[in-house]
Amino acid sequence: MKEIQIERALRISGLLLILGIVVEIISLLWEKPLAFLLFVGVGGALTFVGIVLYLYSLLPPAVESSSQPRPKNS
Amino acid sequence: MNLPSPETLLYALLVITAVLIAIIVVRPAITVSAPGKMLAFVAFCILPVLCGSMAASTHIERSKQTKFCLSCHIMEPYGKSLYVDDPSYIPAAHFQNHRVPPEEACYTCHTDYGLYGGVRAKLGGLRHIYIQYFGTPPRPEDIQLYKPYNNRECLHCHAGARSFESNAVHTAIRDQLTGNEMSCISSGCHDTVHNVKDQSKVKFWTPGQ
Repeated sequence: MKEIQIERALRISGLLLILGIVVEIISLLWEKPLAFLLFVGVGGALTFVGIVLYLYSLLPPAVESSSQPRPKNS
Repeated sequence: MNLPSPETLLYALLVITAVLIAIIVVRPAITVSAPGKMLAFVAFCILPVLCGSMAASTHIERSKQTKFCLSCHIMEPYGKSLYVDDPSYIPAAHFQNHRVPPEEACYTCHTDYGLYGGVRAKLGGLRHIYIQYFGTPPRPEDIQLYKPYNNRECLHCHAGARSFESNAVHTAIRDQLTGNEMSCISSGCHDTVHNVKDQSKVKFWTPGQ
């Protein structure tokens, strides 16, 4: 189950990053002042969200606290 | 052998990054192994940041180009003023005689030479874009500098030059010029700058003639 979630996160993150790269390429080919705004506003946002989502997928799952008492040290 | 230009390398890097990411999107199971994890980290983290930095640098360099500044319609009269056939027009004289790089003429004169001059110029450019598309841009002849032109921008090149130093007037008022007490371009000496309001009355130089 956990692996499926990681794979799903990787796919979504990857798609966002690919979209961000496509937007960056378009902004580089479109030599106008608005191209920079497109690069930062759309391309940068997509890339940032993609990277953050990927890093989030690397986090280990939260460990549930044990209901049993800890053994005392002798 | 000609090496590819930095822009070509950037495009290649962007494509390679997209391909690597696509491989992991299609086959995410490869990230189970340690090499796969490293590949994912490089493709999802390192390369996008590297591509973004290089692309940002390219955009910033492009924004220094004269054609970039003149791509906005409101700047058309200022672009024309660079071709006025009159040596008393300061921008025209500098541009036509390559006293400033013609490809970066606007940026050369309209950037403070301080440490953050370039940063301020870029932030000003963002403001111009905002006004152009979301605000009410003024008429070209009504555009004014945010603050008086700093003599430092002139003295950056002219100070120490023989033609400047050998002029007795410059020598006499040198302290006033360096202290910005007297402006180079608004004290009656070199006051003809862009003058876009009176372009119907001037002749223009055509390159190549």
